[in-house]
Order: sequence, then structure tokens, then C-alpha cells
Amino acid sequence: MTRMNRRTLISASAVLAVAALTAATVPAQAAEVGVTNSEIKLGMTLPMTGTASPGYNKIPGAMKAYFDYLNANGGVNGRKITLKVEDDQYVPTQAVAKTNKLILQDKVMALISPLGTANNKAVAASVNPARRGVPVLFVNTGFSGFADTKKYPTTYTILPSYVMEAKIMAEYIKDNFAGKTLGLVYQDDDFGTDALKGFTQAGINFAVKVPYASGSQGAATAAGWVTKLSAAKADVVILFGVSSATAAGLGTAAALKYAPQWILGSVGGDATTIKAAGVPAGVLYNAVGASFAPATTDMTDEYVKLFSDIYAKAVPGSAFDNNVLIGMNSAFVAAQAIKAAGTNPTRKSLMDAIDAKGASFASAALLPLNYSKTSHIGYSGYWFGKYSPTGDLKPVDGKYVLYTTDSGSGAVVKSTWKRPAMPAKGLPQ
Amino acid sequence: MRISSTKSRFLAVLSATALVATVVIATPARAAAVGPICDKKVPVQTCQGTTSDGAPFVMMVPANFNGTVALYSHGYRYNIDLPAGMLPSVPAGYKVTNTPEPIPGGNPAIANYFLGNGMAIMGSGFARQGWNLDSAITTNVELVGAFKTAFPTTKKVLAWGSSLGGIITQTLAEKYPTLVDAVAPMCMADNITPELTAAGDVLWGLKTFFDPTIKGGNYSAGAAGNAEAIGDIVKVLTVLGSLKNSVSTGAWPATSSATGKALEAAGVPSRSALLLVGLMAGLPTQSDHFDSISGPDGALKLTFPLAVSPALAVLENAASAAVLAILATQDVELQVGGAVYDNTKTDYSARVEESAVIYNAALSGNTAINAMLGALNPANPGAPRAKGNADAMAKMGKMAATTAKINVPTIMMTGVADPITPAGATQRVVDAYAAQLVAERDAAIAAAKKSREYKAPTKKLVVLWSTTPKAYTTFDSTGAPITSTPAAPGTNHCTFTTANYLTVAKMMVAAGNTGKFPTGGAIATAARKSGNLSVDKYFRAPLLKYYN
Repeated sequence: MTRMNRRTLISASAVLAVAALTAATVPAQAAEVGVTNSEIKLGMTLPMTGTASPGYNKIPGAMKAYFDYLNANGGVNGRKITLKVEDDQYVPTQAVAKTNKLILQDKVMALISPLGTANNKAVAASVNPARRGVPVLFVNTGFSGFADTKKYPTTYTILPSYVMEAKIMAEYIKDNFAGKTLGLVYQDDDFGTDALKGFTQAGINFAVKVPYASGSQGAATAAGWVTKLSAAKADVVILFGVSSATAAGLGTAAALKYAPQWILGSVGGDATTIKAAGVPAGVLYNAVGASFAPATTDMTDEYVKLFSDIYAKAVPGSAFDNNVLIGMNSAFVAAQAIKAAGTNPTRKSLMDAIDAKGASFASAALLPLNYSKTSHIGYSGYWFGKYSPTGDLKPVDGKYVLYTTDSGSGAVVKSTWKRPAMPAKGLPQ
Repeated sequence: MRISSTKSRFLAVLSATALVATVVIATPARAAAVGPICDKKVPVQTCQGTTSDGAPFVMMVPANFNGTVALYSHGYRYNIDLPAGMLPSVPAGYKVTNTPEPIPGGNPAIANYFLGNGMAIMGSGFARQGWNLDSAITTNVELVGAFKTAFPTTKKVLAWGSSLGGIITQTLAEKYPTLVDAVAPMCMADNITPELTAAGDVLWGLKTFFDPTIKGGNYSAGAAGNAEAIGDIVKVLTVLGSLKNSVSTGAWPATSSATGKALEAAGVPSRSALLLVGLMAGLPTQSDHFDSISGPDGALKLTFPLAVSPALAVLENAASAAVLAILATQDVELQVGGAVYDNTKTDYSARVEESAVIYNAALSGNTAINAMLGALNPANPGAPRAKGNADAMAKMGKMAATTAKINVPTIMMTGVADPITPAGATQRVVDAYAAQLVAERDAAIAAAKKSREYKAPTKKLVVLWSTTPKAYTTFDSTGAPITSTPAAPGTNHCTFTTANYLTVAKMMVAAGNTGKFPTGGAIATAARKSGNLSVDKYFRAPLLKYYN
């Protein structure tokens, strides 16, 4: 018999007593909230209706299409993934209310792909997923602040930050539009502030900067932008806003016969959405755009091919666009994270798995994920392309040239990373 | 007479109700250390008197008194008279009163609960009105002693109170833990400095943007000071009325300062400036009728909650809090001998860093936010900061205050969007108790190492958050918001239902008897049945801005 000394006995009994106390005060429950033997429940908020919804409201359908495909192929360790979707209309207070519902009423295991900088900040402050230990996976915002793991310990970004995007865009401008008069339209909140930070850091000077308040974008407002941009004789104009702002800017400018060289930020650069808003493809033609994922028309890409096939079957008649690709990709990465979290995943094991293995998760993007114990940053770069006569974004000269940087003072460099082959059938291994 | 049958008990309860109703509208003659003088009536006798500091009190004791008495502390009452027609809520005017209040608002159903179950109730009108934490504790201690002397079979003393009465109750339990067996501070005020900082921030913001003739503090003594305070009330309510009328146009009041007019010229809507003032001060962005979520059908469905509703909520909350903000400031200034609000070192940019992102659209974007914060910069001579009187502020710092220590079983209940006693006051207690519990557990483990017996500390705090409905702003057929309905739960000040009060009362009684609370599941069930109460342990209310 092992002899325990007195000190050990006392400590052990105290620990046991504490454990008993804890057990007595915590109600018995399943292994983890949102996880049963047959299902894992995820939840997301985003604008399904309202001014900012165009384009982004396809993301849940895209994610569900992938999860349905995954579930039809056995799910993750036998569990099906279900996705609860709530419409926040891009209103932060709505996002708070809807997130509360997802966590407290629907009891989701994790939040996934919530959209919008202000909305995510409001949720972080009011709902406090970090305090609750709720993972916030792959937020659909490039606000660089969410990479702060001390302030947002359970949040994982996936999009490159707006600072990164602006820095990389600045390099493109210097290489291709040196000496031109530059104009910028940006959302007058942290989304835009992040972009301004990147442009400033890269030494870009704008002849005119036109902020717009979130929610104010529309044809009437855009007419004011055009007046300012044309008055400043801007040759090159960057539209760094949501899709509805991009569409309003392009459409109104075309109507007013103002035709600078457009550069579209990735957030608002989805061609399908812009065209759906009534902007003719010809207006998009030759505009410059950026993406971290392969072109959605590139059927030689194995991810694009697989995801577009899945989506076509799940949502017949809906165009496969960048929002769809990014949504399906986030779902695919989430599936790998859940798989890596073990046979009985918990919120904690899910986050531990991303921290430990996230950098090696497969994804459609042409850049690697940067997850680790100290980094919750997803992708960190872009390639540039031009919109074709039919309005499709394609890499310049048909070749992806990837640039990468950080949200700080790091240089913009070409990426040499080669994407590994897709796992069999696009399923987590 | 001992009440034994159900019928006679029912009759007794009805009688008690009538008595309570009578008592709360009567003002006993003021006398020093008199009583309690009891009428010896059955089934409930009423005892009246005054404490040695002149506070009139009432005790109501059922014939079948079981040894438990509940001491109620009422909330803040203005300490100067207000003329008729000044406040919509009291059109006939306000007269200072020290009428005893033994139960919240004279609610007969609550009285029935205690008296019908053999428990006594009592409460005073306190010796002075206004901010009276110091004297109220003295009064309450004396009152408990007087009750025990008059009713020697007393076994349990419970204390509860609302608003100022909430902090009186909490501080009583901190200072005299053996005097009370369980307490329930409800919609509890924070300490005077954080409360008056919030009040001062609102008044200073309104003054700086919308009417520089608002004094906002540093009132004169005596009648002149009363006139200044009343003048401020009129000016503030006028400004708020003007802002309400121009909420859609964004026009600024005619009384606006040069700083305000410059912002108007720069295209900043007045509603955004008002919202910024509210965020600087920590006013909730949900109010009686504005949830900052709903919009009318049609073109404003999205724009209204995004760009307008938060400002209207702040406006409604400011209107609810303004009179108290002014009169409490004046009262405390008189008590400590000078101006107590000082924002010479306040960094308003830091104050709104988070909320400016969340309410960016309603604040009209970063450009407008930066313009407004720039205008409020101390370097702008058009926005002079308020400087407090150092001696007066030091005296204020020495006034009675809660340390947030929990000594006895404590039930707190508070509205998450209360603009007068913000939920952050309760959050501060929650935070302090979390640290206290960790320390108690550490101490218990350390003790167990010596005694070989681990005795877990008893959980002594339950918080019931009165939450707002998911969405509650309603609109008429023209799309205009309806503001004639009662305030939504969780909003305004101490907007609790009788069921809410009874839930607290029952928990307090049970905890007083057992020294502990039931399991979390039982508490959650009781809260749910009560309506609009939540025991979500992860909910976190923002602390008052003073603590930032």
C-alpha cells in the first residue's frame, strides 16, 4: 500500500472537498454545450436583410451546403454539424440580441463567421463570449484588433486584416499607378480606420478621402462621393467598403459619367453581388480587385471545382461567387477544427486544437493559416487581379502572385507558399 | 388574537393592506426618540415613533409574529420643494416628505406576503432627505434596536431597500453584519462619487454642447442655490425637448454653445452629440420605449435602430435622470461645502473608445466622433472643464460608502438599463464578491491543511438581473415611435413588478432562515417564473464610468 504523508492527505482532502463543492454547484449536463452524440450545433449572426446584406446573405447557405455535404459523408466523428443563423441586419445591438439567443437559448457550441467589425465588438463587449468560454470562429471582418488574443482570447480571425490589405494594395498602386491622383472612399468606422492605418503606413497620399457612415450608403450618398472625387480629379479611386457601398459608388459614378480607374477592396469586391445590385459588368471591366482565395471561375482549382459542384446541387440557380467560396471554406476549416478537437469535443478542446494544429489545416486559400497558441490570425495576404468583360475577377496575366505582410510595420513581400493538395473529397482527415 | 383559520388569515391580510395604504400616506408628527407607540390592533398592530435623530418610523406587526422582521429603506427623495407644473411626473409640484415607507412603494401585495406569513415589516422616512447614507444607517441601527426591544421574540432581521435604499441596505450589512440575517439591495446606487461623476458628465456635456448657461454644479448656498438648481432643471428639460423635436433633422437647439454651433456647421447632427454625451456618462442606450433594435416598417426599418434609436434612448434616460442629477449634486455640495464634480483630467476619448465603435453609425461615423471629441478637448476654450473644490471633494470621499463586501446572504436585483442607478453598481459588488469568494476558498483550503477538515465557504450572493425584452419599441401607423406606454422591464428606475419584489422577498426570507441559498437551478426557476429576471452568471454590466 502506498503510504501518503499527512500533508499530501490534507491537500488531497481539501482538493476533493473543493471538487465536491464545485460538482455540487454545477448542474449536471452533457459533455459540452451544443454537443450531443449525434450533433454539433454552431451559430452565426450576419445581415440577412437590410442595406448591408447583399452578397453576405449568401454565406450561410454556402456554409450549410458544405456542412450538408459533410454530414452526408458521415459528419465529424459521426456527429452532424448544424448551423443556426440569425439576421442582425448589420446593426450592432441586433447582433448582441441575436448572439445572446444563440448562446443562451439555442445553446450553440461555438459562434462561427459572425460578420462586421462593430457587430463583433458589440458582442465582445456585451455578450462576452470570452468570459463564457465560447469560441468565436473565423470572424468575417478584417479588423486587425481582433487578433489581440488578450482582449479576445476566444476569437479567431480568418480574413487578412484591413491593414494588411491596405498595405498590399499600396504596393500595387506604387507599382502600377505611380504619379496618379488618388481618391479613397471608406467606411467611417474601425473598418475604414484600419485601412487608413495601412495606407498611411505604406506612405500613400490621397488627394481626396471620402468617408461614409455605415448604413448611409446608397445612390444619393454616392452622388456626393462622386462630386468630391471628380472635383479632386482623382484618376484612381479605391472603394474600401461593403458590397452595397461599392455597388452604389460604381453605379452612381457610371450614371454621372465619372470613370476613374477603380480599385475595389476585397470586402465589397464580389462581382456577383455588385452586378446583382444593377451595376453593368462593363462598369466593372478592368477594375482592380483582390482576393486570398482562387478565382471563383477557375475550375482548374480543385477546391473551386468541388465547392462549386456541392453548391450547385445544394442551392440550384445561385451563382458561385466569392462570398460562397469564402463561406464554404470557413465551414471546411471549422470541420477540420472540430475533428482535431477529439472524439468528444469541448469548447476548450476546439480552441486548443486550432491553436495546436490550425496552421496545418487544409483550406482553399492560396495563403496559409497562421494559427498558433499565440496567434489567432487567419490569412495574411492577397493576390491582385482585374475584372473581365463579364465581371469576373481574374489574376493579372492569368497567374496568381501572392503578397503577404502583417498588421504592423512589416514589409510587403511575395509569398512563396504552395498550397497542399486538397484532402480526399474535401473532407477533414 | 391568534389567527388560525384560512378565512381569518385572509381577513387579516386585507386589513393589513388597508393599514399599509393608510400609513404610507400619513406623515407622523416629528418628535425626538419617541415610541414605538403601538395601536395594539389585531390582526396587525401598527407602531409609530421617531428615532433619536428625528426619523419618523412605522412598524407593522402581525398578531402571529413569528420573530422575523423586514426593514425596508426607501430611495432618494428630493430635499427641496419643486413648484407645480415643472415636472410632468409630478404636475402638482413636489414637497419634501419624510413619510415612513415600510415596504416598496406601499405595495399591499408585498405587505400581505410578510404580514400574512407572520412576519413584521418596518421602515422609516429617515431624518433627512437627499443623499443620506450616513444618517440612514444610524437611523436603521436604532430602528432595529427599538424593534427588538418592543418585540423581544425577534429572531431574524432582514433588510432590503431600493436605489439609495439599496446602498443603505448593503452598507448596513457591511458595517453591522451581526445585525441582519439576510439583505436585499435592489436597483442599488453606487457610492456618491461615481454617481455624481455620471450626473456631472451628463450635465457638463449638455451645457458644453447645447446650453452654456446651465450651471451643472457649484450651486450657491440657500435659496439662491435652490433657484439655480431649479433653473438648471428647466434649462436641461428645455434642451432635451428641443433635441427631441429635431431628432430627425439633426438641428441644434438655439441655445447651443459656439462649440455646438461649430459642430452643427460641420454637419454633425445634434442627436449624435447627445448620444456621445450619454455614452461619455455611461447612460444606457436602451430606455423606457427605445430598444435600439426595432424600426418602423418601411424605409426606416434599418436606419432607425442604427442611427436614431440609441440617441432617443439616451434622451429619454437623460430626462429620467436629469432632475435627480441636479438636485443630488446640489444636496451633496451643500453637505460638503463646495463643488464636487471635476472633469479636468477626464479622458472622454478613452471613455467612449468601445462604444464609439458599436454606435458608430448613430454617432455619424469616425469623422463626426473625432470632431466632437476634439471639441470637448480641454485645450478648447469653448469647452471649459469643471473644476471641483478639493476640500469638498475630500469630504465627499469620507462620506459613508459601500466596500462591496458581502457578509450575510444577499440578494440583489437591478435593471440592466437603469439610467439612475446603473447596473454597473451591482456589477461592482459581483466583481468584489468573486474576489472575496476566491479569498475565502483559499483561506478554507489553508485552514483545512491544519485541521484536516475542509469547510467550503457558503455562497452568499445571488443577483437577479431585470432584463429588457428582446424588442419593445412600438410604432404607430405613421411610423412614429409610441412613448405613451409603460416603461419596458429592465429600463427606467427600479421598474420591478410585484412578482419580482416577491421573488426577492421570498429568497431573502429563506436565506435569512437558513443562512444560505438554494441551488442555482431553483433560483433560476424562481427568476424565470417571476418574469424578466435572469440569473445569467456570465452577464456583465458595464461599471460606472468613474471606475474607467
